Amino acid sequence: MRSVARAALGALAAALMVAATNAQAADPIKIGMVAPLTGPGAESGRFQTQGAKLAAEEINKAGGVLGRPLELVIEDDQTTNPGVVLAFSKLAGDADIPAFLGPIRSTQIHAMAPDALKLGKPVMIGGTDPALTHMGNPWLFRFRPNDSYSARVIADFGVKTLGKKKWAIVHSTDAFGTAGMKNLVEALKGQGIEPALVQGYPNNSQDFTPVALAVKQSGADVMGTYMTFEPDQGIFAKQLRQLGVTLSWVGSPTTVTTTALKLAGPALYGSYAVVDFNRDSNPTAKEFAAKYEAAYKSPPDIFASWSYDALHVLANAIGSAKSLDPEKVRQAILAVKGYQGAEGTYNFDKNGDGLHGYNIVKNNDGTVVFDKHIDFDD
Amino acid sequence: MGFNLQLLFTGVGVGSIYALVALGFVLIYRATNVVNFAQGDFAMLGAFAMVVLAIDFELPYGLSIIITLVLLVGFGALFNLGVYYPLRRRSFLPVIISTIGASILLENGVLAAYGPRPQSLPSMIAVPGFSIGEVFFDTQYVVILVVTVVMVALQYIFFERTLIGKKMQATSQDKEMASLLGIPVALMIMITFMYSALLGGLAGVLVAPVLFVTVGMGSSIALKAFAASIIGGFGDVTGAIIGGLALGVIETFGAAYVSVPYKDAFAFLVLFVFLLLRPQGIFGERIAEKA
Repeated sequence: MRSVARAALGALAAALMVAATNAQAADPIKIGMVAPLTGPGAESGRFQTQGAKLAAEEINKAGGVLGRPLELVIEDDQTTNPGVVLAFSKLAGDADIPAFLGPIRSTQIHAMAPDALKLGKPVMIGGTDPALTHMGNPWLFRFRPNDSYSARVIADFGVKTLGKKKWAIVHSTDAFGTAGMKNLVEALKGQGIEPALVQGYPNNSQDFTPVALAVKQSGADVMGTYMTFEPDQGIFAKQLRQLGVTLSWVGSPTTVTTTALKLAGPALYGSYAVVDFNRDSNPTAKEFAAKYEAAYKSPPDIFASWSYDALHVLANAIGSAKSLDPEKVRQAILAVKGYQGAEGTYNFDKNGDGLHGYNIVKNNDGTVVFDKHIDFDD
Repeated sequence: MGFNLQLLFTGVGVGSIYALVALGFVLIYRATNVVNFAQGDFAMLGAFAMVVLAIDFELPYGLSIIITLVLLVGFGALFNLGVYYPLRRRSFLPVIISTIGASILLENGVLAAYGPRPQSLPSMIAVPGFSIGEVFFDTQYVVILVVTVVMVALQYIFFERTLIGKKMQATSQDKEMASLLGIPVALMIMITFMYSALLGGLAGVLVAPVLFVTVGMGSSIALKAFAASIIGGFGDVTGAIIGGLALGVIETFGAAYVSVPYKDAFAFLVLFVFLLLRPQGIFGERIAEKA
């Protein structure tokens, strides 16, 4: 009995080895991917890997890259900084991997950036902290618009499209909210406007009456916000409407998340927000959303669209470089101009930023509709 | 004028939320001489129970409230058996640490079971509020205010006018003496935990439509309620409500007239001043030395 089992095991092992050799014969190009498969970001990790897998399938169906199929090698970063460093160093140890897809969270990209610099191979990233591509690391390529553009788009849309000049800015006092507020003040200064009110608040405030009254008293006719948590935003929106304040509202992406829409309900109707991915913003986005839904039975979001774009752009770059040499691939990515992706049109600048604008969407009685896309040349 | 009246109404509304949670603190403190740091999480559990019953299972609102409160009474008993009872012969410190551990366990348990997405609960009254002059009165705050006043009155009558309330007071003052007098100490403490879980759950049910339902909602309110208990005097029901209301009003006016980002600092500045100058609180404790 035992010898039979041993024979069966032997046969299985042999079959596996044959399978492995076959795979080697096809000789895929391995692309390393670091994604949060566990931890608080697990939900976003699922979107991120599914977006990339969708792109890999399309690329392989169309004949692969340099005549070879693409293969994703995914490592879990556990949504933590140490996890990211471990996952990346594991992938970096594989000399066959010419390029990587990194995380979407800025803090984790900061954690792994020194290793990427040491390794000297291109890493596609989704974090939006402007510093990431401005700190002398030539190997990071960003596939979402960085945060300096969200403020410029809010200011541009409010002043030029809505024609409003009297601004109130409400922001969380955390890193995200404060940086957003500073960028927005700067962007408004560029339009020659000094805001009537700049009001910070601490996260998890139970009450926003003083903030709402300050906005009311400032007499502003438009408000830009950088609010971090949806419950804060919901309480603020409700109290603002209760106190009879009816000004135009252009907010950061938090303003139109599914949770924000659910919590605030009618209090957020008619508000605008900047978002980097919207399915109606361009034909590629629409096509991507349809394919994603067909494949995974759920609508895509920003965590899926950037990794989808990143793998496509990377594959194109390897194709046009006709080489897996890191420096040649780097130059080829930097040379990408006018590539139409799901997030927008990619025009890489010398820093490695691919996108330079945001979509404006409107909350039309609870449904998010695409309004316009604003792009900058610099 | 309208501006200040609006701030006053909101301050009193927020303050009565603090007061309601502070009542639970005071109750358990009086019975066991320990502070229950999971008191805020009773509110969180109450709010989540409402979301599950009234929204996910679509039960009628009133029935959901009753089931929620019954569940919390049961949970209070379990909490006593699991968190307090095994440590009852130890000093207050292990018990406090045990309640902190329970708080962390509850928050992460609900996070794992229900997910991190905040939920909303509609108000029990369909009318969102009414305006008098420039001042907007949020109906939910009015409800909170009324319920708080009623609960305070009930608690006062319970402790001062009923035999079981007096037995509970005796238990709190000296357990050994109480048990010599034939008071079933363990039962008194069990009742206290059940009632204070009910109070916490009620606070959660009332607060959910205003603050939304998140895993961390309880602990952020509890921190302020804890400060309110100290300001009012731990161990005094009137003190808890005055402390809660004072805290709500001070932080709302401080935010409006001085600085919003430092809103939370005002609450804890007041706490600091009280700890320094009058650690026994406004009303103090009637029994200064407890065995």
